[in-house]
Amino acid sequence: MENLSPWVIFFASIFTGNILLVYFLGMCSFLSVSKQVKTSLGLGLAVTFVLTVTSALNYIVFFYVLEPLGLEYLRFIAFIIIIASAVQLLEMVIERFSEVLYINLGIFLPLITVNCAILGVSLFMVIRQYNFIQSVMFGAGSGLGWLLAILAMAGIRQRMNEKKIPPALRGPGIVLIITGIMAMAFIGFSGIVQIQ
Amino acid sequence: MKETPQEKKIYQDFRPGKLTKEGFLGSDTRHVHEIIEEDKRTLSQLGIEPETIADRMQYFIEEGKKGLESNVDLGDFTVRVNWFRGMLPCPFGEPNLHHKITAVVRNKALNQEITFTQLGVHLIGSHCFFMGHGNRFRLEPDDLVKFLKIN
Amino acid sequence: MLYKIIIATVSMASISAILSILLVIAERYLANYGECNVTINDDEEFRTQGGATLLSTLNSQKIFLPSACGGRGTCGYCKCKVLEGVGPILPTEEPLLTAEEMKENIRLSCQIKIKQDIKIEIPEELFNINEFRTNVAMIRDLTHDIKLVRFSLIEPNEINFKAGQYVQLQTNPYADVKESVSRAYSMSSPNFEKSHVDLMIRLVPDGICTTWVHEYLQEGDDVRIIGPMGDFYIRESDSEMILVAGGSGMAPMVSLLEDIAHRKIDRKITYFFGALTRKDLFYLDEMAEFEKKIPGFTFVPALSEPEPEDEWDGETGLITKPLEEYLQKIDAIKCQGYLCGSPGMINASINVMKKYQMKMDQIFYDPFG
Repeated sequence: MENLSPWVIFFASIFTGNILLVYFLGMCSFLSVSKQVKTSLGLGLAVTFVLTVTSALNYIVFFYVLEPLGLEYLRFIAFIIIIASAVQLLEMVIERFSEVLYINLGIFLPLITVNCAILGVSLFMVIRQYNFIQSVMFGAGSGLGWLLAILAMAGIRQRMNEKKIPPALRGPGIVLIITGIMAMAFIGFSGIVQIQ
Repeated sequence: MKETPQEKKIYQDFRPGKLTKEGFLGSDTRHVHEIIEEDKRTLSQLGIEPETIADRMQYFIEEGKKGLESNVDLGDFTVRVNWFRGMLPCPFGEPNLHHKITAVVRNKALNQEITFTQLGVHLIGSHCFFMGHGNRFRLEPDDLVKFLKIN
Repeated sequence: MLYKIIIATVSMASISAILSILLVIAERYLANYGECNVTINDDEEFRTQGGATLLSTLNSQKIFLPSACGGRGTCGYCKCKVLEGVGPILPTEEPLLTAEEMKENIRLSCQIKIKQDIKIEIPEELFNINEFRTNVAMIRDLTHDIKLVRFSLIEPNEINFKAGQYVQLQTNPYADVKESVSRAYSMSSPNFEKSHVDLMIRLVPDGICTTWVHEYLQEGDDVRIIGPMGDFYIRESDSEMILVAGGSGMAPMVSLLEDIAHRKIDRKITYFFGALTRKDLFYLDEMAEFEKKIPGFTFVPALSEPEPEDEWDGETGLITKPLEEYLQKIDAIKCQGYLCGSPGMINASINVMKKYQMKMDQIFYDPFG
C-alpha cells in the first residue's frame, strides 16, 4: 500500500470507501442526530476531528510502541484509551467555545467514543499497513465521508418532514431505507480506485 | 442498565423532591425505560397509540378550563380543572415547559374518578410514560382506555 | 512470560498516564475561565471567578434577580439585558425569550455562564431586593387548602415594598426533598408594617413548596426570603379600579386595600372574588371592614357551586358573570384592572375586560406562568 498517494486515499475514503455508506460503520449517532442539519454539521466535524487526531496518535502508538515491543494484541485497548481521551478533550473544547453545540449534541458527544467508525478506521489502517501520512489522510477522509453522509441524510430528512410516511416506517425505519438507497448510489463510485 | 452521565442527570429529575414532591416513579424500582417498555406492550396489545390517549385527556383539560375551577358537565363525564401558577419542565430534559394544571374526571356510569396533570398528559403523549407503579398519578393504560371510553 | 506481562502492563499504564496528564492540563486551561469583570449599568463593577451562571454570581454579590424556579430555567423571571460578553442564545433559553427580547440582548441569567468580561443592565429597583433571615411567627388556616403564614424579619429587620409586590420563599429540605427550592408568593401584609411579611399559600397537589408549608413548617422555624419583587402595584390615578382575584390571589389585593385605606385614597374600587362553595370563602370580616374604611369600595363574592346548606343569597356562577354584568353598566374604557390568581381565571377575566373596551396597558397582573 505504500505506493498509493495519500490524496487518492483521502478522496477514496470519502466516496468509494465511505465508512458509513459502504462499510456501514458509525450508524447509531448517524440515525439519531441526522434530524437537524446544524447539529449534523457539528457532529460530523467533531467526528472528523476525532478521526484525524486518533488516526495519527494510534499510528504512532502502534508502530512505535506496540509493534517494537511485540504487543500488537493490545491494540484494541490502546486505541480505545486514545479515542476516549481524544473525545474527552473534544468535549472540553466544545463546551468552552460553543455551548449551543454542546447542549444540542447532548449525549452524542461522549457517544463518539464508542462510534465503531472511529475504532474501525484505526484498525483498517493497521490491516492495510498505511504509513503516517496515508493514515492521517485516511482518518480525515473517512471523517469527511461520514460528515457528507450525515449532512445528506439531514437534508433529506428535513424535506421528508412534511411528507406522509406509513406509521410503521416512521423514524428509524424510513431512515434505514434511505441509507440503503444512498449506499446503492455510492456503489456507483466503486471501481474508480481500490484502497484495500 | 448502562447510562451515560448525561442520562443519569436527566433521570435524577424523576426522583422525589426535584420537580414534584413525590417524583414520577412512585415505589417502582425499575428503570424509566423498562416502565415505558411494559406500558408500550400493553398499548400495542390494545391496539391504541399513546397520542390518542393524550389527545383525549387534553380534551378534558380544555373543557375543564372553561369552568374556572368549578365542575363542568360533559354528559357521560364531569371534569374539574385547577390551574395553579408556575410551570414545570419535562423531566426527560426537553426544553419545554408545562402549566401546573390538575384535572379530576368522573365517569358517571362507572361512578369512578381519576386525577391527572397537564405534565402527565405530555408524558403519556410524547414519551409513553404513565408514571411508575405506586405514584399517586399512575394510571394503568388499559384501565385508562376503558375509563375514558377510547376505542 | 513474566517479562512480557510486565512490559504489556507498563506500556498500557504509561499510555494512560500520559493521556490523563494531558487531559488534566487541558482541563485546567479550558475549564478555568479565570477572573472576569462584571459591569452593571456602566456604573458598578466587580471581579469574580468565571464559570458560574450570571444569576448565581450576582446572588453571591447580594444582587438578586427574581427567580421563581431557583435557576432551573423554567420560570423566565431572571431576564437581564446583556450588552456584551456572552455567546449565542442557548437552546435552554429559547422557550422563554420572545423575538423582541432576543433582539434587545435580553438573556436568561440562570442559563448563561460568565466566561469573559461581561456588561449588563439591571433596572434600579432590583437593587432594593434583599435576602432576609426570618422566623415563622404564625400559621393560620384560611380555608381547607389555604394557609396564612407570617414571617417575622430578623436580618435585615425591615422591608420596604409597594403594596402588591411578591417575595421568593426558599424552602428548607424535608422528608425526601433534599434540596431547597424557591417559589414566589404575593405579600398580603400592609406595606406600612415593615417588620414582617404575610403570605397566603394554597396547597398544590404534589407541590414541593406548598406541601412543605402545609405539612412540615412550624411556628418558630427559620426561613429565608428574597424580595420585594414584581410589577404588580397600584397605578396612581382617579380612574375606577376593578379587582379580580380568587383563592390565594386575594393576597396582593389585601395589601392594596390596606394601602388605599391607610393613605385615604379616594377611588371607586370593586373587588370580584370567585369561589366554589361557602367553605372556600375567607376574610369576609376583613372585607366588610374595608368597605367601612374605604367609601368607594365594594366586595362582590360569587359562588359557582353553592351547596344548599350554604344558604347563599349572593352572586352565583363563574366570576366572569358578575364582572361582565358590572362592566356593561359602567364606562369601562376608563377603568384600571388588577388581577391575581389562577391563570385560567385571569385569561377569562381579561377577555371580558377587553370585550368592554378596557385597555391592555391599564390591565395589571403578575404573569406567574
